[in-house]
Amino acid sequence: MKEGMPNNSTASISQARKAVEQLKMEACRDRVKVSQAAADLLAYCEAHVREDPLIIPVPASENPFREKKFFCTIL
Amino acid sequence: MAADGLHENETLASLKSEAESLKGKLEEERAKLHDVEFAQLCPTLCDRLDCSLPGAFVHGILQRRILEWVAVSSSRGSSRPRDGTSISRVSCSAVHQVAERVEALGQFVMKTRRTLKGHGNKVLCMDWCKDKRRLVSSSQDGKVIVWDSFTTNKEHAVTMPCTWVMACAYAPSGCAIACGGLDNKCSVYPLTFDKNENMAAKKKSVAMHTNYLSACSFTNSDMQILTASGDGTCALWDVESGQLLQSFHGHGADVLCLDLAPSETGNTFVSGGCDKKAMVWDMRSGQCVQAFETHESDINSVRYYPSGDAFASGSDDATCRLYDLRADREVAIYSKESIIFGASSVDFSLSGRLLFAGYNDYTINVWDVLKGSRVSILFGHENRVSTLRVSPDGTAFCSGSWDHTLRVWA
Repeated sequence: MKEGMPNNSTASISQARKAVEQLKMEACRDRVKVSQAAADLLAYCEAHVREDPLIIPVPASENPFREKKFFCTIL
Repeated sequence: MAADGLHENETLASLKSEAESLKGKLEEERAKLHDVEFAQLCPTLCDRLDCSLPGAFVHGILQRRILEWVAVSSSRGSSRPRDGTSISRVSCSAVHQVAERVEALGQFVMKTRRTLKGHGNKVLCMDWCKDKRRLVSSSQDGKVIVWDSFTTNKEHAVTMPCTWVMACAYAPSGCAIACGGLDNKCSVYPLTFDKNENMAAKKKSVAMHTNYLSACSFTNSDMQILTASGDGTCALWDVESGQLLQSFHGHGADVLCLDLAPSETGNTFVSGGCDKKAMVWDMRSGQCVQAFETHESDINSVRYYPSGDAFASGSDDATCRLYDLRADREVAIYSKESIIFGASSVDFSLSGRLLFAGYNDYTINVWDVLKGSRVSILFGHENRVSTLRVSPDGTAFCSGSWDHTLRVWA
């Protein structure tokens, strides 16, 4: 939203009208309580943390970056 | 189209005051959902340059400037907010309250496993291929390079006709890359292993903006590209025809970053800009669905939480913040008094438990998303970290820096 002194008053009116429409739309959204939203984030995290190789490291042989393998080709 | 003239009872002043009162009502509505109590001073935002877990330690090269910061932060007395910050900075955030009962993370050993050298100037952007092995990076000197991160070999290289290639992306099929920057365009290059073919010859110009291209991303297929630009807009393009499918207006200044929602069926994306706002858009209608304005400076990077219900942002105000889309508000802030440089790029680990953030002070901080504490600091880069992405299978993440190199950490 642009503030400041507009040269063209019709442009600023249509902008202001758009802003009001946008805010009206945002104000009627359904929202969820923060504790519920936070609990859902937590639940997702706990459900997937076992599969996260940066938290529960997989054995070095399975992680291509950690294993000491030499990628050379004989020409 | 609505008439531009005034309707009855409508004046510019009345519209503006209606907007103000709606904004106030919006804040009230958001505040009503704030049912988690705030503690006045949260132990996770203390002064110590530490990792708050026993046994966790700092890796890499300890450089003199780091010791200077330790001296500064320990000489200060009680923690006080920096000038111009609001009190909410020193209070505990909602997610951390709820996460109190969660187990703390164990010890972290994350090191540079690969260093990709070859760029002649600042690395500005990078993206992983879906095969979890290849990645594309772009730099200030106009070079775009495709690497094999396992072997550190360069597989393709192309020189763009412009400098400052600020955006690059890998196509989902792995058969093409997109990049752009000061040329105000986004170009797609098909990748070919045919030695006789010149990559630049098959270049396709897809997007046209009126200012620099700051970010680009393929949608779920190779057929569409989403772009963000310094002209303040985002746009969705058809790759084959170069046609503009949808444009997204609403930011008041340059748009610096964007990220697509992770779900296959999801049709939204989030963008962040120099107007300090993060906006969530509906791709089909072009409408802004939600907007968040709590950062105090430019938002350099936005990334969705893996579940798609939240996103994180990194900003020049030296903080990273977590916004929940369903609660429609900021729910966590990741900052420390000792961190004074802006965060240039952020990404989540696979489970969303860790947030990796690259900063302009050459370091990467690893945050525990739920507890809000810093888990680790990674040193190694010799200049600003400009870009950071976790690999598609979460086994590693790659950071690119103004020191001309990329590092893969695991």
